[in-house]
Amino acid sequence: MPEMQDALWYKNAVFYQVHVRAFYDSNGDGVGDFQGLAQKLDYLRDLGINAIWLMPFFPSPLRDDGYDIADYRSVHPLYGTLEDFKSFLAAAHERQLRVVMEMVLNHTSDQHAWFQESRSSRDNPRRNWYVWSETDTPYRSARIIFIDTEMSNWAWDPISKEHYWHRFFSHQPDLNYDNPAVREEMWDVMKFWLDMGVDGFRLDAVPYLIEREGTSCENLPETHIVIKELRAKLDSEYPGRMLLAEANQWPADLRPYFGTGDEFHMAFHFPLMPRMFMGLKLEDRKPIIEILSQTPEIPASCQWALFLRNHDELTLEMVTDMERDYMYDSYARDKTMRLNLGIRRRLAPLLEHDRRRIELMNGMLMSLPGTPIIYYGDEIGMGDNVNLGDRNGVRTPMQWNGGWNGGFSNADPESLYSPLIQNPVYGYQAVNVLSQRRSEHSLLSWMQHMINLRRSTPLFGSGSIEFLYPKNHRVLAYVRQQGDQAILVVNNLSSSAQAVELDLRRYKGKILIEMFGGNLFPRIGDMPYLLTMGPYQFYWFKLRRI
Amino acid sequence: MRDIIVGELTQAAQEIFRGFAHLLPRLIVMLVIVFVGWLIAYVIRAILRSILQFAKFDRLSERAGASQLLTHAALPTPTELVSRFVFWIAWIGFIMLGISVLGIGGLQEHVERFFFFLPRLFVALLILFFGLLVASFFARAILLASVNANFPSPRLLSISARTIIIIFVLSMVFEELGVADQTVILAFGIAFGAVMLGLAIAFGFGGKDLAQRFLENRFLRERRMEKEDEPSPL
Amino acid sequence: MADESILSDDFIRQLIDVGEVDILVGVPTHNDAKTVEPAIRAIQAGIVKTFPRERAVILNADGGSNDGTPDVIMGASIDEQHRSFNGYTLRTLHAISTRYANSPSNAAALRTILAAAELLRAKACSVICPESSNIEAEGVANLLRPIYRDHFDFVAPIYRRHKFEGVLLTNLLYPMTRALFGQRVREPYASEFAFSGRLASQFLNRHQWNEETKDYDPELELTVTALSDGCRVCQTFLGTRSPTKRQSRDLVDAMRQTVGVLFSSLDGTFSVWSAKTASQPVPTNGPEFELSVDPLRINRKQLKEMFSAGVVELESVLRSIVSSATLSELQQLARADEDNFRFHPELWVKTVYEFAASYHKAVMSRDHIVQALVPLYRGRMFTFLVENRTASAAEVGNNIESLCLEFERLKPYLLELWNGRK
Repeated sequence: MPEMQDALWYKNAVFYQVHVRAFYDSNGDGVGDFQGLAQKLDYLRDLGINAIWLMPFFPSPLRDDGYDIADYRSVHPLYGTLEDFKSFLAAAHERQLRVVMEMVLNHTSDQHAWFQESRSSRDNPRRNWYVWSETDTPYRSARIIFIDTEMSNWAWDPISKEHYWHRFFSHQPDLNYDNPAVREEMWDVMKFWLDMGVDGFRLDAVPYLIEREGTSCENLPETHIVIKELRAKLDSEYPGRMLLAEANQWPADLRPYFGTGDEFHMAFHFPLMPRMFMGLKLEDRKPIIEILSQTPEIPASCQWALFLRNHDELTLEMVTDMERDYMYDSYARDKTMRLNLGIRRRLAPLLEHDRRRIELMNGMLMSLPGTPIIYYGDEIGMGDNVNLGDRNGVRTPMQWNGGWNGGFSNADPESLYSPLIQNPVYGYQAVNVLSQRRSEHSLLSWMQHMINLRRSTPLFGSGSIEFLYPKNHRVLAYVRQQGDQAILVVNNLSSSAQAVELDLRRYKGKILIEMFGGNLFPRIGDMPYLLTMGPYQFYWFKLRRI
Repeated sequence: MRDIIVGELTQAAQEIFRGFAHLLPRLIVMLVIVFVGWLIAYVIRAILRSILQFAKFDRLSERAGASQLLTHAALPTPTELVSRFVFWIAWIGFIMLGISVLGIGGLQEHVERFFFFLPRLFVALLILFFGLLVASFFARAILLASVNANFPSPRLLSISARTIIIIFVLSMVFEELGVADQTVILAFGIAFGAVMLGLAIAFGFGGKDLAQRFLENRFLRERRMEKEDEPSPL
Repeated sequence: MADESILSDDFIRQLIDVGEVDILVGVPTHNDAKTVEPAIRAIQAGIVKTFPRERAVILNADGGSNDGTPDVIMGASIDEQHRSFNGYTLRTLHAISTRYANSPSNAAALRTILAAAELLRAKACSVICPESSNIEAEGVANLLRPIYRDHFDFVAPIYRRHKFEGVLLTNLLYPMTRALFGQRVREPYASEFAFSGRLASQFLNRHQWNEETKDYDPELELTVTALSDGCRVCQTFLGTRSPTKRQSRDLVDAMRQTVGVLFSSLDGTFSVWSAKTASQPVPTNGPEFELSVDPLRINRKQLKEMFSAGVVELESVLRSIVSSATLSELQQLARADEDNFRFHPELWVKTVYEFAASYHKAVMSRDHIVQALVPLYRGRMFTFLVENRTASAAEVGNNIESLCLEFERLKPYLLELWNGRK
């Protein structure tokens, strides 16, 4: 299959982020599993996506939704066996779907055998696998990430009577990457999965791998060396596999993670996402253009990962205080919605169930430079439940139909890993795959059409971007170009109808062909090009010379 | 007196020897240059031959009709000819250089003139080559057109056209070389003018029916339809 | 695509007003005011009767008429009362007109029609000749229906002809395209045909539309594209054809537009035609051929004379094009007298194939090669006329068929020549 051989496949992909636990339960124990996920692969293929990003499914005490790993070479029994995973992987590849999985490099669960050994005594051979200290004073300058739950980056271990380092929860001790044995072992772990056929890894929390005194312990040069090593090994033994960095940093600080094309293939563009929401509420394109103008050029083989929402809170780490306050006031008046430094709501509730805004945001997601990632459930407009603790409100079961447990599981509703969304607006009777499949005009059908259009236009994934600056600041307009192909994207960020005049003299003589309907729009002349747009409307125009 | 004669002779001999001694190194240098020049020219010829063979120069000159001319004159193939020609030019150039080293006054001027002559020679050869190509093309075009239009004696027309063009080209070549340019131009002018006048008279008086038919064919296409004796080929 | 646009601003506006269509019928014109009206009526009737629910447009591509042809067409379209049929349309039947240039060019007209078909995303398109004074509604429908309903990509016409009409088609173009591309399309060079939107886009974007090709007819190349790109092709019978302007062209010009185009299209499609080994019939709506055998006075003698004269005079040229064996046979033939003159099929096929191979290798200016074929064709025509002088339609059909088989049989010979012994 030539498509599967393409080394730069991730540049023209559409990702689907899913937690196996939340998708489909095949054995009636109330928790989604790999056999269930395999059964739903046809749905994903029909949706049009071509890559799946799986949340962690390792054996784990599940105190951080699986990001606290207790065994790197196995599958949590709740989700099935390693054989189940292998069958799922084969089934996905059969349908031309790639699979990218999580790999948490930075830390393990405190239940992991390695930590159990490490903490057992100060002389244990694995002592050096973690970062130990007599006092809790080293690395003072490092910030605390989970400010709502943790008071310090050091935790006291009563067994070996020392402090251990943890950037995240206290039950997630950091591995010591200065120890070559650790690096070798982690590469071995990755090989285990690569040999099975996994197409790539999302490497969680990469900025924090290495610590050095007197620094913020984030983004250190030594960390980059570790990554370069990994990438070199990957390229030589497993060409065509991909590394995706989770590094919630400013664009300038993110740039080093691409190296010269010798580190990560992809990285999340974290700062863009909140600004898209901000631009929408402000009805002003300024935040979006600013962040994209500040985004540095990346090597040709690299790619940004764009997303609207994910399993975490809508993070507001990478905005100024003023911006954060504005976002809280606009999107999370209710303080229960706020978590850490973000807002823990799904896409549809954030946009007040407004179909037009949902379409507009997805339209921008698919037309800005980068590879889009769709969070499971957002394609049907699922809602959330802020009353579930931590970030679990956005991790409720997938809603397949209006029946028993929303079609997610045959178990008793009380035994599900998480309650379903049940209110009349977002509940499973109102919002589900089955009913949306029946209508050509449902959100699901629209998303399918949209994804299909995006995937058949590789220009979006690899072309350049040039912003236009029409006087109407409520309109975000840009031209994507590659070779002699050009696409004009115009977005009305305002809730009211707008008229906008665009200066398209550079493209004079070309005809606009609107991409969804295929209809002709007048030819570009010398005069400014007038477009009238309804509330939250957007256009994609192919510029054609004929 | 004998002493004087002997003295003068000795002096003369010494002068000759001295002169010879002055000359000898330069002579050696000249011979070295000539020899090296021969080597270089040989190499250039070999390279040029390969290049021309690779570029299928023979095919091209076949189309120009140059090959046929050469075989008629029992000369070798164009590639070979050009290569040898370049060899000789190169070697003669080196010889000239060698001679100039000798320092014999009057020869310098000749050497310079030789080197100035070379570019014009090159241009003249180019004109000849492309002129032959053009003549060949037009000759064939006229031949085909007159055959298909059912003109009488198409080959005659074709050969006349080719001859006229070749004469024209040759006169340009001679002018470029500066060889008897005045004479050639004049001769060409007279001949050409005479031919044209003759054709005009012939057309005007003798061939007026033919001319009429010809003009009808060119300018009154619609009249074709009455040709019921030839049904449409499509 | 050329830098200068072929579609004027005004035309773009007309296209925007029309919007997406299902059916597009193009009518290229130049000073056809006297003959175009019946054709337009037939088109309207055809669309209304067969495609009443579909969105349709009639597009007139005019090459600088000064007799008001576009006005006649637009006038014919908007006057509902004068429609002689009792048709009723659910939708607006659009008619638009554009002047593509100030002088007629078949290539520019077709390009305009193709561009409009692509922009309007027409599913089925057809080109109708403005001189077709006897085309009927049924004919138009027969051209469009296979494309629209049965998903064919190309529909070629078949006309009722006199047995001596179209000898270039029956003795060269049809047999050769049939042998090379494996499909028996009787009229590969037609002025009326239909094609799908997909084929239109393909041809529009792949073909070299430039100054040099402005003056030639692209129809044969469109047919070759359809045959070589795996398109579904069929034929439909359209009745007797009214004489068209292009039929009155002189022979050299005609050969340039057909044989020259055919030869040059072989270069790009080599991988396709070299692999085909036998020809298949194409689905045909109506009789596959109908020939009328009315007696016709023809000056055959001149043909033979021009052939002989040509062979003699062009010897130096022919020597570079055909093999020496063929040349000596031709010379022998030229010396024969009228009663013993027989340009038998094998010699004809070999000659044509050698010409095609020489064209491919460009042994001389390609245009000259085509011109050199003209007198030889005249000789073949002479033989064809003599052999079929008293033949019935069926016999003529058989003779053409056996010539076709000869072309197919000798195809390996062409491949040999092509791959280059020379």
